[in-house]
Amino acid sequence: MVNSDGQLYTIEGFAAALIMLITAYLVVNATSVYTAGDTHINDMQLEALGTDALMMMDTPISSVANSSLQEIIEVDPVNGARFNQTFLNYINIAGSGPRHDIQFNASYTCRDSNNIAHSVPIIHSRELTGGEHAVRATRWVIVNKDVCDMGSTIDRAVLVEVLLWRD
Amino acid sequence: MARLNDDAQWIILMGFLVSFSFFFLALVINQSTVVGQTTAESVIEFPKNDIRDVRHVIGESVGIQYPNNVTVYEDIAVLSMNRKSSVVDYTNSNTTNPTYIYVHYNNGVTEYNENWTFY
Repeated sequence: MVNSDGQLYTIEGFAAALIMLITAYLVVNATSVYTAGDTHINDMQLEALGTDALMMMDTPISSVANSSLQEIIEVDPVNGARFNQTFLNYINIAGSGPRHDIQFNASYTCRDSNNIAHSVPIIHSRELTGGEHAVRATRWVIVNKDVCDMGSTIDRAVLVEVLLWRD
Repeated sequence: MARLNDDAQWIILMGFLVSFSFFFLALVINQSTVVGQTTAESVIEFPKNDIRDVRHVIGESVGIQYPNNVTVYEDIAVLSMNRKSSVVDYTNSNTTNPTYIYVHYNNGVTEYNENWTFY
């Protein structure tokens, strides 16, 4: 027959076991830092938005025409106003409809004769302070221009880089 | 003689068990919101756009005549290394109208290779 003596000891044993388990769990868990599951979704969307906008800007209206991104880089001095207008429209900062609160910093990088990369600013909507949580969208563009003082106007590949962040 | 009243200890024991099982269920729910690597993080780290972009620019550079296409080739290789931390290489940049091009991309995590043949 089942003896029901000593049940308080059973409960005490349970409690002690659980205290040890919880202690072990907390100790092991404290050494790892996890991020919340939705942390990077905003970054991913911002990067996709910027990349798509640059791709649209690099799409010419016909096979013989230059894309607007090519023209923006080829026209000297750097044609920042046109980049500003087109880019702001494409990422829905300007224009009609709901707007984003996105800031950006656009530049392009070229290679000089010593194989050193130089970044040439195009335009920015706000100065970078270093505290922004920015994502980068890039686009390769082939331009016919004397970039990085190579001395002749020939076809060159430059990398257009746009840093995007929400303020 | 006064002694500890040990009535209804089964009820207390069951109460303990139920409350601790609730505690563990709460732990499981708590863990479901944190993850080591998110899907969005994986999407950001996988260089899909980089690879598409580099394929696009290499495809565009095929139409450039020799020897200018060598300059473009060096631009792509040097700037990829400098600004994108990736090794990009492709063959046949030193001829006009190549019949094939091997494209290589490696950023240390993701490697991509492709062969193009032109007829």
